[in-house]
Amino acid sequence: MRQERVQVMAGNAFAISDAQGDMEVDPRAPVGLFSFDTRFLAHWVLRVDGERLNALSRDDMTYFETRFFLVPGTASHYVDADVSVIRHRSLDDSFNEKIIVLNHSADPADMTVRMDIGSDFGDAADIGRPRERRVEVTAVPEHRQLRLRYRRERFDRETIVSSTAPVEVDERGMTFRIRVPPRGQWETDLHICMIVRGEAGHDMRADLETHQLHVRRDMRDDLRAWLDRAPTLVAENGALAGAYERCLTDLAALRYEPLSSTRRVTVGGLPWAMTLYGRDILVTCLQTLPFTPELAPVALRLLALLQGGRLDDIHEEEPGKILTQLRYGEAAAFGEEPTTLYYGAADTTPLFVVLLDEYERWSGDVALVRELRHPARMALDWIDEYGASTGDGYVRYQRRNAHQGRLNQCWKDSPDAITDRNGWQPGFPRATCEVQGYAYDAKLRGARLAREFWGDPAYADRLEREAAELKRRFNEDFWLPERGYYALALGPDGEPVDALTSNVGHLLWSGIVPEDRAGTVADHLVGPDLFSGWGVRTLAAGQRVYNPVGSHLGAVWPWDNAVIAAGLRRYRCDRAAARIAQGMFDMAERVGGAVPEVIAGYPRTLTKYPVQLPTAGRPQAWSSGGLLMLLATVLGLVPCGENLLVNPALPEGFGRIELLDVPGRWGHADAYGRDRAAGVRGHRPRLR
Amino acid sequence: MTTPAADLLRRLGEEDIHPDLPETTAGTVRLDARADGRTEHWYLTIADQRVAVTRSTAEADLVVRADRAVLDRIAAGTLHPAAALGRNDLTVRGDIRLFMMLRRLFPGPPGARHPRDVAAATRRRP
Repeated sequence: MRQERVQVMAGNAFAISDAQGDMEVDPRAPVGLFSFDTRFLAHWVLRVDGERLNALSRDDMTYFETRFFLVPGTASHYVDADVSVIRHRSLDDSFNEKIIVLNHSADPADMTVRMDIGSDFGDAADIGRPRERRVEVTAVPEHRQLRLRYRRERFDRETIVSSTAPVEVDERGMTFRIRVPPRGQWETDLHICMIVRGEAGHDMRADLETHQLHVRRDMRDDLRAWLDRAPTLVAENGALAGAYERCLTDLAALRYEPLSSTRRVTVGGLPWAMTLYGRDILVTCLQTLPFTPELAPVALRLLALLQGGRLDDIHEEEPGKILTQLRYGEAAAFGEEPTTLYYGAADTTPLFVVLLDEYERWSGDVALVRELRHPARMALDWIDEYGASTGDGYVRYQRRNAHQGRLNQCWKDSPDAITDRNGWQPGFPRATCEVQGYAYDAKLRGARLAREFWGDPAYADRLEREAAELKRRFNEDFWLPERGYYALALGPDGEPVDALTSNVGHLLWSGIVPEDRAGTVADHLVGPDLFSGWGVRTLAAGQRVYNPVGSHLGAVWPWDNAVIAAGLRRYRCDRAAARIAQGMFDMAERVGGAVPEVIAGYPRTLTKYPVQLPTAGRPQAWSSGGLLMLLATVLGLVPCGENLLVNPALPEGFGRIELLDVPGRWGHADAYGRDRAAGVRGHRPRLR
Repeated sequence: MTTPAADLLRRLGEEDIHPDLPETTAGTVRLDARADGRTEHWYLTIADQRVAVTRSTAEADLVVRADRAVLDRIAAGTLHPAAALGRNDLTVRGDIRLFMMLRRLFPGPPGARHPRDVAAATRRRP
């Protein structure tokens, strides 16, 4: 049976334990306390008089704070304890655990409380392949401290565990021999400091000006203010309101402060992607502009700063390319993974331009558009200079890092994701269809920026000509007339890869589809092969390679569905968009908690319940953002000049909703909508 | 003295304009190169896509310290600046954003290929 996992998170730090609060190494999951991609605690097990504890209940107070209520003994026998234990855990820049032992009897109680403590300094990117590291352990009883340190050349990480209460310290943990008075309590605070050492043994982060500015925030106030800044959703449908607040809170939890920024950006998600992912952050910002627009300018500036500047095969870097992954761990630092700054993605660079333009449309932040002219121009230049590598104008990818590079450098990045209906996979370089849509959109948006803000109308004309030409040729080369949809990809010599996939929905979002083909594409998207009842599958059923539990061969991704629904509304396929939104909100309600990254592609009619995949992480920024985007999509929120346009097309069951104080260049505006059923309720004669 | 790092810094100062640098990037950087028990200081002033290079120990917006051998490897393109930072072979104090920009002034690894050349080579193969 799978153990229940309990997490607290803050920035790129997180701690995952079992339901009792204990942490023990599991090669299948990143259990332990992590920060900056390093596991600072791998073993953290509490015992009272030699016995493990049993959980009675738990209070997950916020994403960074949890209380466990425990009693000694196991669940297998009747619990009537004289003693109970509270572990109150919180995480900010350090990890804190207050342990409270309560004596419920009328007599004093003598007890031994023991915490076993260990670390392997494992790399978050390398959990499945644990390796032995020589960890120096020093017990410092006079300071009530246990210090664990790992050094490799100058790479230096240290965990310092300190206790406020008197304690015996040995190399494997801490022991408290305590006497608790009748109906009294004993407590200690265990404080775990995670140190990333720089020059002369100082914490590298403390040496950086950006981190010096970092004062410890009152995290509860911070979360409240975050929720206050977002629009207020008033909904008849309680599940909708619950999902809304949950998504906002998850997005708050997934913000971290990178070394080179004083403001926070979103990480990909728990547990595998607790770092900067270019694609995830761009998509998340696009999804959340009506709700949390503060995320976008920070992300754009950071990605501009990290933009590629030279050719580098190992890191798949080219001038102008936008990053896809950044890690701080040992594997990245020593080149065992190319992730110290990894650029292996064909879609991030056009999406950067798309976000910059879309952000301006919502915010009116012209200053940022001017500030980022150079990086945006480099990104646009990248499309034709480095992206279109075979000279046919299509943005392609082919890894140059043959050992560590990503084979598929699009969002469907599993090795077998790019396939035709029968399993044939094309050669390289590959051009997937959705990337051409993004490139088309980037050129048109770049043209608007050049004309309106950069004072370069000639460049704007050129981009528009290129976009029109790209659209024309794309619709010849990718369209499969006998099937009525677009090929997933073209191989190196232009041979189409004919699988029916969710990617065609992205083409609607980018606007590269001519009006007269949109209806046919929409029919496929909500037809029985692609639409599972919860959402659009990554790959349609009925093809040889379809697999409902294959991440990119049949499973359903909320972020993908959000983009598709937005695309459908762009072409006025309102009912199809509403069906997807309804399926996704139903899924979120039934699963409960944070929206998962992906669910299985089984038909809804078969399973009745969304089937979760064990590898799917949650919370994930672009899943939480995806639900918000679906809400904005069914409300039809579109910035139009200085105004917010509202054009609702709500799914049945949404009832009446009000989204109040949507921020933007208009200040704050309200949006109202009601579903068709709500609109006619009371008027329709009832059949009895 | 001629080392890859010294050569590169001299060249940077002589070049007129660095089109890879955004016009909005401006600031001062001091590189402290340690070797044989002493430290050499290089002082870079970045503005308007130009880099002025002098020798000075003055305070700067960003101070980068490393063994000269480390800087030589970076200047030769065989060590990634961000990896050097991650390994703590190089330390920074001050505005790390300038370090990320400085990265663009260093050459990439020798032998790095243009995607177009890789594509052409692949397609030539049967």
